[in-house]
Amino acid sequence: MYCHTPCGPWSTVVHYIWNRDLCDELCLIDVMEDKLKGEVMDLQHGSLFCKTHKIVGDKDYSTTAHSKVVVVTAGARQQEGESRLNLVQRNVNIFKFIIPQIVKYSPNAILLVVSNPVDILTYVAWKLSGFPRHRVIGSGTNLDSGRFRHLMGEKLHLHPSSCHGWIIGEHGDSSVPVWSGVNVAGVSLKGLNPDMGTDADKEDWKHVHKMVVNGAYEVIKLKGYTSWAIGLSVADLVESILKNLHKVHPVSTLVKGMHGVKEEVFLSVPCVLGNSGLTDIIHMTLKPEEEKQLINSAETLWGVQKELTL
Amino acid sequence: LVLNWATVYQAIFTNCTVKLITPMASGPAEPPRNKVTVVGVGMVGMACAVSILLRDLADELALVDVMEDKLKGEMMDLQHGSLFLKTSKIVADKDYAVTANSRIVVVTAGVRQQEGESRLNLVQRNVNIFKHIIPQIVKHSPNCTLIVVSNPVDVLTYVTWKLSGLPKHRVIGSGTNLDSARFRFLMAERLGIHATSFNGWVLGEHGDTSVPVWSGVSVAGVNLQKLNPEFGLDGDKEDWKATHKEVVDSAYEVIKLKGYTNWAIGLSVADLTESIIKNMSRIHPVSTMVKDMYGIGEEVFLSLPCVLNSNGVGSVINMTLTDAEVGQLKKSADTLWGIQKDLKDV
Repeated sequence: MYCHTPCGPWSTVVHYIWNRDLCDELCLIDVMEDKLKGEVMDLQHGSLFCKTHKIVGDKDYSTTAHSKVVVVTAGARQQEGESRLNLVQRNVNIFKFIIPQIVKYSPNAILLVVSNPVDILTYVAWKLSGFPRHRVIGSGTNLDSGRFRHLMGEKLHLHPSSCHGWIIGEHGDSSVPVWSGVNVAGVSLKGLNPDMGTDADKEDWKHVHKMVVNGAYEVIKLKGYTSWAIGLSVADLVESILKNLHKVHPVSTLVKGMHGVKEEVFLSVPCVLGNSGLTDIIHMTLKPEEEKQLINSAETLWGVQKELTL
Repeated sequence: LVLNWATVYQAIFTNCTVKLITPMASGPAEPPRNKVTVVGVGMVGMACAVSILLRDLADELALVDVMEDKLKGEMMDLQHGSLFLKTSKIVADKDYAVTANSRIVVVTAGVRQQEGESRLNLVQRNVNIFKHIIPQIVKHSPNCTLIVVSNPVDVLTYVTWKLSGLPKHRVIGSGTNLDSARFRFLMAERLGIHATSFNGWVLGEHGDTSVPVWSGVSVAGVNLQKLNPEFGLDGDKEDWKATHKEVVDSAYEVIKLKGYTNWAIGLSVADLTESIIKNMSRIHPVSTMVKDMYGIGEEVFLSLPCVLNSNGVGSVINMTLTDAEVGQLKKSADTLWGIQKDLKDV
């Protein structure tokens, strides 16, 4: 059983999960009762074409009982030009209502936090839920890496799944592209082009990373919000969890003690996902400047987190 | 000159792509084989696009709309999900040249049904939009099959057929494919089984006067009307007729609750697209030209069970209908013709 909260443009997450036949029961939660009921009915009407036999929705959290995975997309949406960190306290207050209720009805669930700013809100969800750290995961830079690999694919005329590159750290403006790891068929691109990722780089790969960071803002400016790519990336994570795939994804987890980070913050690093949640973390070999960026992000996030009333 | 060559030489050697990849095949890229275009990037159009992408039906997807920013934003958002998809090319433009060489074109453009507005009231508004769209589609994809989704779908499929000049087997209306899906879902729920195990057909006009063929309803080959002769009639103690009424009302209800419907219609269109692209010859209730069938004398489009394959509508199944059911189809035909004959510029 799988639960999603709430509806909105991010109800596309629901749609992908349902369309990929990932779960046997799908539950939606929101405070907007009419919208919720309308969405549930619309999905049910498509039952003939899908293999999820039960789709339910209610504003009462008892409908979410026995969920294996709970995807949290609730919260205020990023406005045009608004940075992710500005959303924080608005969304913390919503989480103080939601998280305890989820925990009450599904004490063994795996929480997947999508709402922005995702790294801070994953920390908040972890604190409010009392869950062990392997069962609270943030969607993190899974989408940023997806965008990067898409752009890399465009540049090299290859499918994104054949372009390997990891973006880690904070989901957003200060995400870290790990240039040393970027490769195609095991061939390190930085080995071919030592200037890659620097200002001297004639191929301007640094601009590709900038396009990843700006990608969300640009889509928001054009269509008002982003939905499809984030929906697909979350379905990708849910699939690894529900099918116990032990695939490695860049998702947001507690990184205190890693790469020189001292604070209790969540940042994205490559993690192994299976049916018990986050089973292992892959330790990347980072350059000193890459580690410094992670430490800086950690300090920024901690600066915000310590002011929050939880 | 020597200095210039050195710079170029240096640039080539630092060029990642050149060092990484040795080209084998030269020449222009292969044209797409299963290109799908979706016209209109509103909620319905995007639900169709996404359902088609998730089923890996197309090797290229094109989106068209007049709202340029929205169009570009939607295209980018889909492209950002490329890693998780198997449709390698997603393009969009307000210029119809981007739709060239499509196998299937899904038309969702048009104004949306307002709360309480019946489908027939949308008509002339949408005809004027189609006059602009359809000739451009046909110009760039003269061999495509058109799937019309915009409401009122039966009238607009007729309009599309007239404006396109295409043969009637290549212009389909999504018709009662969705009504039948809703019917099978609601009926199956009552029996505690999956919708795919419940066989039932809703034909005729998509909307208020759709015709549930009660005599054809079966589960595991067991005809329900034989078990319960009152099945679907007014005297029926089990009131199965109420379930058909729920089907008719459900679109209005979803619109009232969330503002529009999109997921179910998106999936039903992907279902039709799959049959055509994969040349499956599956039977679907879709809107087709029914003149000279069941005593209908006018050129109208109504939903009948159609065999869909790479030709479009390969053939139509002649269902055995009761006199009352034939009467309902004829009545729908008259109503539709009443509207169609007054349309301007078709």
